[in-house]
Amino acid sequence: MYSSVVRLQNTFGFFTTVAFVVASLVSLSDFLSARTPTVDLLKTTSLQVVKGRPHYYSSKKEEYAIIKFSLDADLSSLFTWNTKQVFVYVTAEWPSLGSQNNTNQAVIWDKIITAPSSDHLANIGPIERKRLKKSAGGKPIDPSRGKLQLKNQRYKYQITHPSGRIASQEDVVLKLHYNVQPWVGILTWNQEQTWGKWQALKGAASKKFALPALKKKDEGKKNKTTRT
Amino acid sequence: MAEQLLDQARDIFEGQIDFEGQKLAELLVNIALSLVGALALFAGYFLQDIKLAVYLGLGGTAATFLLVVPPWPFFNKNPVKWLPVAGVAPPTNIVVDEKMFR
Repeated sequence: MYSSVVRLQNTFGFFTTVAFVVASLVSLSDFLSARTPTVDLLKTTSLQVVKGRPHYYSSKKEEYAIIKFSLDADLSSLFTWNTKQVFVYVTAEWPSLGSQNNTNQAVIWDKIITAPSSDHLANIGPIERKRLKKSAGGKPIDPSRGKLQLKNQRYKYQITHPSGRIASQEDVVLKLHYNVQPWVGILTWNQEQTWGKWQALKGAASKKFALPALKKKDEGKKNKTTRT
Repeated sequence: MAEQLLDQARDIFEGQIDFEGQKLAELLVNIALSLVGALALFAGYFLQDIKLAVYLGLGGTAATFLLVVPPWPFFNKNPVKWLPVAGVAPPTNIVVDEKMFR
């Protein structure tokens, strides 16, 4: 500590130690706050299966399921001081037939809910960002953003199966998942079991439903051509 | 003249402090940074504001740097008192560059 450079080095060295310890304690503080997420409603509102191509130049025809759904969930308890953003996604899941893969799971809709502390990182335009920042009302955390109420929400991703066939598939369920991304610490997903103060996400799955059969477009066309 | 200036500049840059000052500097760093860390953690947790914690931590660390790095006068209150050179009589009549030194 006899010269300025040595003092600079030693002070910075101890600063890194303090920063590491504080960051560890911040990540551990997650376990002190209760997580009580609930799903009050998750149901499909409209189902449709159509034929289409994976991309414009493809000659392959596949069946795509188009699912609309309603969701009523309260994830506000996931927002603490260490929450950077919460990724929410809805999947459609169905068992597979025979000796194929065990389960089929495909995301049909997702959403990134930023905490006010990470609004500046959201991938949105300047006007929308201003509105988002304003919605927090200057508060450092805004749990009300965790309240999701979707009515007849359109899918974000149309889904199919590697075989290209998905029509008339039975025993399909919609499931809500979340992924909490903290400022410091590990990523955590929705739990099947309660762990300490973190409760399991109950009622995350909708009732089983069957996808409809493919619409018979060809017949309709034939009728039209015969009529003219 | 230039050498004198250079020496002065080197002294300021090196910023040497005495032994007691070094002990004090080390103590100040440990206490100040620990306090800053604890304050940032608790303020952040109880006000549920992670940005506040980060800014408190960085600001406090900057203040600690300011407190400890420059050779403030209070680090130099106990300069080492060297003993006079013993057993050798001070030399007389040294001639350097044809000038007399006494």
